[in-house]
Amino acid sequence: MKSTVIAILIGAVFVSVAIMLSQQSPSTIAVEEVNNVTVVDGKQIVSITAKGGYSPRISKAKADIPTTLKMTTNGTFDCSSALTLPSIAYQENLPSSGITNIDIPAQKAGTTFEGLCSMGMQRFEIAFE
Amino acid sequence: MKTYTLHVSGMHCASCPMLIEGELIDQPNIMQAKASLKHHSVEITGEFEEKSLEEVASDLTEIVRSHGYTLSPEKQKHDAKWSEFKIAIPLTVGFVAFFIILQKLGLVNLVTTSEVSYGTAFLIGMIASVSTCMAVVGGLVLSMSANYAKEGDKIRPQLFFHIGRLVSFFVLGGVIGALGSVFQIGVTGTIVLNFVVAFVLLILGINLLDVFPWVKKLQLTLPKFMGTHVHGLKQINHTLTPVLIGVATFFLPCGFTQSMQIYALTTGSFITGALTMFVFALGTLPVLALLSFSSLTIHTKARSGIFFKTAGLVVVFFGLFNLHNALVIAGIIPSLISF
Repeated sequence: MKSTVIAILIGAVFVSVAIMLSQQSPSTIAVEEVNNVTVVDGKQIVSITAKGGYSPRISKAKADIPTTLKMTTNGTFDCSSALTLPSIAYQENLPSSGITNIDIPAQKAGTTFEGLCSMGMQRFEIAFE
Repeated sequence: MKTYTLHVSGMHCASCPMLIEGELIDQPNIMQAKASLKHHSVEITGEFEEKSLEEVASDLTEIVRSHGYTLSPEKQKHDAKWSEFKIAIPLTVGFVAFFIILQKLGLVNLVTTSEVSYGTAFLIGMIASVSTCMAVVGGLVLSMSANYAKEGDKIRPQLFFHIGRLVSFFVLGGVIGALGSVFQIGVTGTIVLNFVVAFVLLILGINLLDVFPWVKKLQLTLPKFMGTHVHGLKQINHTLTPVLIGVATFFLPCGFTQSMQIYALTTGSFITGALTMFVFALGTLPVLALLSFSSLTIHTKARSGIFFKTAGLVVVFFGLFNLHNALVIAGIIPSLISF
């Protein structure tokens, strides 16, 4: 009975710390919503940084124009360097430091374009409007 | 003079206890025998020299076999021991929460350099071992450890696993460094591998829980696929299989391993590539060793039940995590977790 109580206590401590850390993330997402989308010569460029996840996690882009995804890595050795774009069957390992440009076809309005790391738990999305 | 309780299988009739008692009492070394139909057991008192319970059971089985009974030390009937979950569930929840905390800490930001020295490779290895890669490699290591511990082999298979892992990282790292090309498995390959890892972990994990006996029938998977009843094969199963699993971890989906492989490939040298991957694997060793030798903490029978249940739940969690990731990558479900 004593060990049950101890086990429950240990569990509860970790759970509460995890919840505390999780609650910080919505605010960081809001801060992350910066202007990372530019249009140059009729071509749209969406810049995303990959290191320990993707930033910004949510981007808003224009629909119906050719788009380039500009992935920046800087000392990135984690899963986010193994980029997967399921909708265009893209999977490449980004260099640990550098810039990789990926052309994606013009997307219809209302599409959410998703990028993931090869294991699926880090992701970003681009909402086309 | 000793008293033992043995389980009797094949005892179904009301007259069975008397028959068994009669047969056993006839033995010169047995003073007393009391069989119970209700419990399918027989309690015997007598002189058994220095024989173990197993030996006594098999000796006495010879006497009653002609009547269709078998005596064994333990109850063959399945006993799920649900009470062990009272401790195993909080422990698992704690471990899972701890795992999530580790992901939230942003450990990858410890790597500030873009140059990979051997020191960096070691650090990346250490970070990788507590990252989501733990869900893949750590899950395999833990289930392997627990499954072998069940067969009473706690140390040797684990050593073989780590030797296989370190050697293969050195050799294969050297190969991709020298060849300048990497083993790319592509989107479909990753998805398939993710699903395979997820299902292997789920089966091994559920099996460790020891709740659904029918899962044992699914044991055509990793550790026991060769059939442990043949002695020679068991030797192979406890040496070659862990080595092969260790080698296989080089190819398992883990972002850190992949990016280190990319780096090893750019070195263009066998020895630099080999050493980079080796040092990386060395960095993952402390945490993986902790998982693989966790079964050494089992000292009592009561604890072992809790250990196997906790290990089973953790492995099931890792399996579900991988299944989720595989489904997300395949575009079947939207991502539910995001670190």
